[in-house]
Amino acid sequence: MSVDRNPMTNGRAQSRRAFVVRAGAVVGGLSLLVRRAAAQEQAEQQAGATNSGEEMTSDSYKPVSRPPKPGAQPTMGKVEVENFERQLACPCPCTLDIYTCRTTDFSCGISPAVHGDIQRLVDGGYTATEIMEALTGTYGDFILNSPRKEGFSLAAWFAPFAAVAVGAVGIGALLRSWRLNAKTADAARAARAAAQSANAPAVDATPEELARLEAALREER
Amino acid sequence: MILVGELSLWIALLMAAWTTTVSFAGGMQGRPDLIKSGERAMYATFGFVVLASIGLWTALFTHDFSLKFVASFTSANLPKVYLFTAFWAGQEGSLLFWTLIMTMYSAVAVFTNRNRNREMMPYVTGTLGIVALFFLMTMTFSENPFERLDWVPPDGRGMNPQLQNPGMAAHPPMLYLGYVGTAIPFAFAVGALVTRQLDAQWLGAVRRWALVSWFFLTIGITLGMWWAYVELGWAGYWAWDAVENSSFLPWLTVTAFLHSIMIQEKRGMLRKWNVTLVVLSFLLTILGTFITRSGVIESVHAFARSSIGNWFLGFLIVATVLTAYLVSTRLNDLQAKAELESMVSREAAFLYNNLVLVGICFATLWGTLFPILSEWVKGDKITVGPPFFNAVNGPLGLLLLALTGIGPLIAWRRASVANLQRQFTAPLIAGVVVFVTLFALGMRDVYALASYLLAGFVFGTIIQEFVKGVGARRRMYSEGFFAAFFRLIGRNRRRYGGYIVHFGVVVLFCAFAGLMFRRDVTATLKTGESVKATDAYGHEWVFTSQGISSDKQLNRFVTAVTFAVTRDGENMGLLSSEKRQHVNSRNEPTFEPSTEVGILESPKQDVYLVFTGAVDRDTAAVHINFNPLVWWVWFGGIIMAFGGLIVMWPQATKGEREGGYVAQIPMGRDMEPVGAGA
Repeated sequence: MSVDRNPMTNGRAQSRRAFVVRAGAVVGGLSLLVRRAAAQEQAEQQAGATNSGEEMTSDSYKPVSRPPKPGAQPTMGKVEVENFERQLACPCPCTLDIYTCRTTDFSCGISPAVHGDIQRLVDGGYTATEIMEALTGTYGDFILNSPRKEGFSLAAWFAPFAAVAVGAVGIGALLRSWRLNAKTADAARAARAAAQSANAPAVDATPEELARLEAALREER
Repeated sequence: MILVGELSLWIALLMAAWTTTVSFAGGMQGRPDLIKSGERAMYATFGFVVLASIGLWTALFTHDFSLKFVASFTSANLPKVYLFTAFWAGQEGSLLFWTLIMTMYSAVAVFTNRNRNREMMPYVTGTLGIVALFFLMTMTFSENPFERLDWVPPDGRGMNPQLQNPGMAAHPPMLYLGYVGTAIPFAFAVGALVTRQLDAQWLGAVRRWALVSWFFLTIGITLGMWWAYVELGWAGYWAWDAVENSSFLPWLTVTAFLHSIMIQEKRGMLRKWNVTLVVLSFLLTILGTFITRSGVIESVHAFARSSIGNWFLGFLIVATVLTAYLVSTRLNDLQAKAELESMVSREAAFLYNNLVLVGICFATLWGTLFPILSEWVKGDKITVGPPFFNAVNGPLGLLLLALTGIGPLIAWRRASVANLQRQFTAPLIAGVVVFVTLFALGMRDVYALASYLLAGFVFGTIIQEFVKGVGARRRMYSEGFFAAFFRLIGRNRRRYGGYIVHFGVVVLFCAFAGLMFRRDVTATLKTGESVKATDAYGHEWVFTSQGISSDKQLNRFVTAVTFAVTRDGENMGLLSSEKRQHVNSRNEPTFEPSTEVGILESPKQDVYLVFTGAVDRDTAAVHINFNPLVWWVWFGGIIMAFGGLIVMWPQATKGEREGGYVAQIPMGRDMEPVGAGA
């Protein structure tokens, strides 16, 4: 900081020094607090507290197998299997579905393994519903690419539309109140105009001309 | 220089602390010397952050592997262009880059307001100082890019292969320019709330900054989609990933603000709502950063994870509480006497436009955070993937598209039946013609048909507005078509630039609808073997494997498969896809192998080849996708950005604008003046 030579503010030099000292104390205190938080954070990190790395390993793969049904025939063709796999989220962090993940760039060991399980179940005569139950029984609902439309998960689907509906009703109410304001203002203006015309000399204009003037003034506002 | 950079970071921290302290103190005590000192300190903060950035770039270019950041994200054989972009390849550098943009914007905002908005500027500067201080503290105390290793490795780990792409050179800077841009309107909102100067004046100060933010977010998001498409190899460009959603959220609220601000400018209404949108945009930016960098939500953007989530969460909570307090204690000042002549008016249409934009924002945020909520409530982690977002945001998006067309057709204040008939007839006919044509051609997908119907309608409204405007100019000034067209835009950039943005939106929706007609095929082929596939247009494609080749290029070993491609018997050339194994300077593998896709690009559709793996030396497993209309996604993004640029461009003086035909057209109550500000 340069020294303030402005005569307008020179008298405040003393108070400024005091201010700087106080500000320094505050900043120092804050930095101590922050350092303590940072040290704690670092310790947590060293203890392996972050959970993100865990789910990137192939440990997330959990085999799903059932004995083939007697005289089993494949229950789905290639395309059906692909479409079925699109409904399933890959447990790796790719955020893609099983089919897309296993046919792309991501070096994922999980989606090909899950595909193998699904194909074996299909060949073993299990229907799509049975395979889905087997998979969710092992992985939980995490394997589903979108929330179920039941129980608590229904809230995921319901809330956005409910929020928009509530918003629409709110906007409707707001617009009505604005409309009411306009009507009240119109009535007040009409009353004022009537009072003025009663007291003032007659205006040399037709009612249509006055209406146009009123409209023009409102546009201007 | 590296040491200078490191020291500069600490000095910048002190400068930001000084900026914040003296600016607020100066504002509260009414002391011009402190206010001036705070503003100078803001410039100094920017200067020292520039020095710190130069220091980090120096470390990257000189391969100073004693720095943890340099060793973690570069290697000695990394191409030079990626040494430059490595600055934002990791957490610490990206925070510094963010701070660089933040302090640059802040310095520009302070400088351009040195003679304006003087009463609120101390609080604006102070708020910007707090944001800069937060980022500098996050860096210096937690994620310091100048942190040194205990030993100096002979080579670095190298850069994530997926970041070694031109898209990654431009995508993060654009996104950051957009993200950080929300901080300036936020600071002005805080300044206006503190000083209770909540008339239209503060809006004038923030509108251009909001546009800057919107412009860069648009470019950043489009580049991000392009990068994901060409680099990630899953043949899509938007996966509703948490990080993608984080960039989309502030874009939605800033878009809503850019519409609702017009109502306040024209009618003095929606004061509370506009303040809320400005604040919300900034808070969503911080929330997005928290989501992106904390690792609380699974994301493909794993390279940006770290433990600074707590910092951002703390800052988010403090900022939310303080701004909520400010808004709640200024409600009386934000009160406006609102009047509406008719429920059928542009004001009402804009309100519904805002509702849908914010609704999409809420749905996206809700879907992004629902897995955490579910885990809290039920203890089970669930997945909220693309099917959810498409199902929820699809209908809302179509509603938004409809409003994009309806809004500009309705007059301000009141629209008469005659006005509605005159304005809606041609666009509706355009929409119906598009629908009937596509239906007759065999299109049956309901979403696609709805999209193209609405796209035809909105396109009709845009053409109609331009035809009317150009026609009026030609009649009044006897101008040629092109002269009238360009002067029409030049004389009213906000309105016609806005229509160009709307045209970009139409193009995007048309491209999105193309996704309904994707086709794909997987195959495992030996050299000389072929696979046949039929695309959505009915063309028959044949892909004949030309074999697998291996090569060493730059910092990687490459294995490529090449196909000779024909369409309905016509030769379409060769198409290759590669598997790349990146290595360091000692030829040691640095990352998992990555795939470089092959794309046969055209406006009609992309043929997208992914080399999923080599079964043996002669046999390749591939995934071939036919993606209709993807080219138009990039084109739509460019149109939107171009329209935004026109809107941002400084408007001609009022006198010049009124010199157009606007003032000379007779105007009724139900008539929107052609060429008047939208």
